[in-house]
Amino acid sequence: MLKNAFLTLLALAIAIGGGGGSVWYALKTQDGIGAIRIGPWTAFPAIGTRAADPYSKARVAREGILALGQAEGLSFIAERDSGGEQLKRQCAYEIEGGFPAARFWTLYAADQSLGVVETGKPRLAALQSYQVLRQPDNSVVISVSNRPAPGNWLLSDGFGRMYFVLTFYDTPIASSTGLSDITLPQILKVGCNA
Amino acid sequence: MRRLLHAILLGLLGAGIVHIVVLLLVPEFSERDAWSRLAMASDLYRMTRLDAEAGGTPVVKSVDPLFYAAACRFDLSEGMVRVKAPGNVPFWSVSVYDRSGHNIYSFNDHSATGRVLDSIVLTPAQMIEIRKELPEELQGAIFVEAPVDEGMFVIRSFVPDDSWKPVVSRFLEQSSCELQVY
Repeated sequence: MLKNAFLTLLALAIAIGGGGGSVWYALKTQDGIGAIRIGPWTAFPAIGTRAADPYSKARVAREGILALGQAEGLSFIAERDSGGEQLKRQCAYEIEGGFPAARFWTLYAADQSLGVVETGKPRLAALQSYQVLRQPDNSVVISVSNRPAPGNWLLSDGFGRMYFVLTFYDTPIASSTGLSDITLPQILKVGCNA
Repeated sequence: MRRLLHAILLGLLGAGIVHIVVLLLVPEFSERDAWSRLAMASDLYRMTRLDAEAGGTPVVKSVDPLFYAAACRFDLSEGMVRVKAPGNVPFWSVSVYDRSGHNIYSFNDHSATGRVLDSIVLTPAQMIEIRKELPEELQGAIFVEAPVDEGMFVIRSFVPDDSWKPVVSRFLEQSSCELQVY
């Protein structure tokens, strides 16, 4: 009798704990269903629409996201550099390459909650396309570090994980047909202050 | 031993069912979704700043640091809602969301007449009504047909650098979100 009760309890515990825990885990991880990957960058073109999958819908509800509409823009998030290592705030990076057509774009260094990193300095850890210098072939080279750098400098400081968020505004790539053959810049690691 | 294995298998099967049920119920019962956060911050038909610049923590996440944003909640069962914002800013875009945060419609300043933000959100039934006799003052407005009752209207505006901050702030603060009955 006691054994039966124990087995029932065990089954219930696995069911409720495992079911709830797996949902929590699935919603916590950054990449998931419906993602489009281009190099190190990930985008969720369907997030926040009615056609989104149940995981995206749950994430939108849980985190209070108001996703950009198609006529507004499309966000890409990078969690790792082009070498496949996680981005860290104590490391210096170089973001280089061509950017797809858009009215303008913004790039910022983000923390785990995808808000801009707090550096404690008046300069915002963000850049936008109207203020960047371009190479002769129209590509852009951006240095990410805690020390000022010539050319385009994106300030980042502190310790821990970092994400880059690259958002294109008023862009044809936000319509799904345009996403297949665009190229996004590479993220190269320069070095780390351990 | 066999019965233990049986119980574990049953538990795993149950975990699968619970996973699906919880996943589908999260949007229904979330108290942290955008609508609930906005409801805590302000009333219906009141434009509220979403970014942290206006003081306090940002109401809604995922706002670009180079953007300011404002939102108002509306209920179309009470009537149409008209949103206007005067002023000239480098870029603005608008999204209309339903109660659960799904994007229904979006447009930006290139689709507006003279780049002026003047928009009306209404249900398809209200659209049929207003088409019969379009009021003069609505000629230039952008009509957004939304098959919902409750929803949110979000304006986002680009702040290229610090010198634009007061201009963009004023643009959002002077925006209005009004219930209109014709």
